[in-house]
Amino acid sequence: MSHIHIDMENVSFAYEKGEEILRQITFHASETDSVGLIGANGAGKSTFLKMLVGLNLNFTGSIRIEEIPVQSGTLAQIRSRIGYVFQDSDSQLFMNTVYEDVAFAPRNYGLPEKEVEKRVEQALRMTGTMHLKEKQIYKMSGGEKKLISIATILSMTPDILLMDEPSIALDPKNRRNLIHILNSLEHLKIIASHDLDLILDTCERTVLISQGRIAADGPTKEILTDQVLLEENGLELPLCMRKG
Amino acid sequence: MELFSVSGLSERVYMSKIGGTIREIHYMETLSSRDQWVNQIHPLVKFVLTVIYILAVVSFYKYDVAGLAGFAVYPLAVFILAELSFLDSLKRLRFVLPLVCLVGILNPFLDKQEVMLAGVPVSAGVLSMTTLIMKGVFSVLASYLLIATTSLEKLCYALGMLHIPRAAVTQFLLTYRYITVLLEEVDRITQAYLLRAPRQKGIHFKAWGSLAGQLLLRSLDRANEVYESMLLRGYQGDYGYMREHAVPGRQDRRYFIFWMAVFALFRACPVILVIGSIF
Ligand SMILES: Nc1ncnc2c1ncn2[C@@H]1O[C@H](COP(=O)(O)OP(=O)(O)OP(=O)(O)O)[C@@H](O)[C@H]1O
Ligand SMILES: [Mg+2]
Repeated sequence: MSHIHIDMENVSFAYEKGEEILRQITFHASETDSVGLIGANGAGKSTFLKMLVGLNLNFTGSIRIEEIPVQSGTLAQIRSRIGYVFQDSDSQLFMNTVYEDVAFAPRNYGLPEKEVEKRVEQALRMTGTMHLKEKQIYKMSGGEKKLISIATILSMTPDILLMDEPSIALDPKNRRNLIHILNSLEHLKIIASHDLDLILDTCERTVLISQGRIAADGPTKEILTDQVLLEENGLELPLCMRKG
Repeated sequence: MELFSVSGLSERVYMSKIGGTIREIHYMETLSSRDQWVNQIHPLVKFVLTVIYILAVVSFYKYDVAGLAGFAVYPLAVFILAELSFLDSLKRLRFVLPLVCLVGILNPFLDKQEVMLAGVPVSAGVLSMTTLIMKGVFSVLASYLLIATTSLEKLCYALGMLHIPRAAVTQFLLTYRYITVLLEEVDRITQAYLLRAPRQKGIHFKAWGSLAGQLLLRSLDRANEVYESMLLRGYQGDYGYMREHAVPGRQDRRYFIFWMAVFALFRACPVILVIGSIF
C-alpha cells in the first residue's frame, strides 16, 4: 500500500457557535498505527472520528487523508479509503440480509457481481461470520451485528478503520472475539472507547481527549498506567491494572 | 419446508401492537428474500405483469363473472410457484380484503334487473357485486404476491428502469426505511413509558406531546445516522444494484411471454365456460 496517513493541523470544531467541542487539535497517524481514543463522556471522541470522514465539515484548520484535504468536493474519494464503524450497529446495518448489507458498498462502487461476492466472502471470513451470510439482520444478536458491521466496512477494502465504541453491548466472549479480530486487521485503526482494557489489548498508542484538547498522546502502556493523569481527566485505570 | 423457518418468527414475543407491525414488515422481507424461483424473476417483469394483470382484471364487463373467474389462475399459480401459504396470506390481508368486499355491497339493492348466466336467470346486482369483489380481491392478491416475491430494493430498481425519476425512487426507498426506524423508536418509547406507568392502559394524553416530540427527534436522528452510514459506503443517490442482471434474461422473457399469452387468452374468451361445456 502507498503512504497511508492522517494529518490534522490545528483543527477546531463547534456544533453551535461559540461552543467549541474540539480546540486546536494536531494529530498524525500513519501506516499500521493502532490508536486508542479515550476521554470522558462528551469529550468529543465521536466528533473527532466523524470529522475524519467528513460528517462534520465546518471545522477550521486542515485535515488531510493521504494528502487529500477533507472538504465537500473530496468526500467520495476520502470515504472510499476510510471505513467507519458506528457505535450503534442498528444505524450501520440497513439492508435485509447480511449478504446484501456487506455487498452494499462494493455494489455502490460499481464492482461486477463476481467481485462483489468475493469481497463479501473475504470480509465475512475475516470477521469469522461466514455462517451468517444468508441470515436476516434483524434476527441477529448484538455481538453478531457488531461483527457484521465491521464486515460491511471491510468489504470496501479501506486503508483506514475508524471505530466508535466497538465493544459496547458485547458479552465477554464476543468482546474477546472482537479483540482477536481487531488485532488481526492490519489497517491504520483509530478506536474510540471507554473500554480501556480493550484499548490496552488492541492499541499501541493512545490519545486522551479532555476539554476539547489532546491532554496526552503516547504509548498505551504509559498512558493507561498513569493513574493521576487518568483521574484528572475523569477516567479510571483499566480493570486489569487495579490492585485488590 | 422453507415456510416453517419463516413462521418461526412467531417465537419472538413482542409486547406491543407496534412490535407486531414491525414484525409484519420484517416478515414480508423474509418472504421476498427467499430464493424461490419466482423470487428470482427479474423485478421489472414481475412489476409490469402485475400492472397489466390488474388492468386486465379491472377492464372486465361488470356482469362477466365467468370470464373474470378465469383470472384466478394467475394468483393461484404464483402462490404455488412461490410456495406461499394461502391461509397465511389471507390472514395478513385481513384488514384490506373486507374493505374491498364492502365496495360492492350495495349493488344488489341498486341494480334489480335480471340477466342470464349460463341459461339461468340471476340478479344483475348480485352479479355486479360479485365482479367488483373479484376485481378487488384479485388486484390485492396480485400486489401482495409482487411484494412477497420481490424485495423493495429490487422493486425500486424496476421503477428506475421505467424512468421514474431517481430522486423519487430514493425517496421511496428511504421513506420505507424510515418507517421501520420510526416504528422501532415508537416501540422503544412506549415500552419505556409503560414500564414506568404500569397501571395505565395506554399513554396518558398529557404525555403525548412530549413523547411525540421525543419520537420525532430520536427517529430523525436515527434515520440520519442510517443515511450517513449509506453515504459512507459510497451511496450517491443511485444504488448500483443488480448491475449484472440489468436487463431481463431469457428465463424472465419466457415467464413474461407465457403470462401475457395466458392473460390474452383468458381475456378474449371465458375459458372456464369453454372447459365447462366440454364436459
Ligand atoms: N449533533 C450535535 N449537535 C450539537 N452538539 C453535539 C452534537 N453531537 C454531539 N454534541 C456535543 O458535542 C460534545 C462531544 O460529543 P461526542 O459525541 O463527540 O462525545 P464523546 O466523547 O463521543 O462522548 P461519549 O463517550 O458519550 O460517546 C458533547 O458535549 C455533545 O453534547
Ligand atoms: Mg461517542
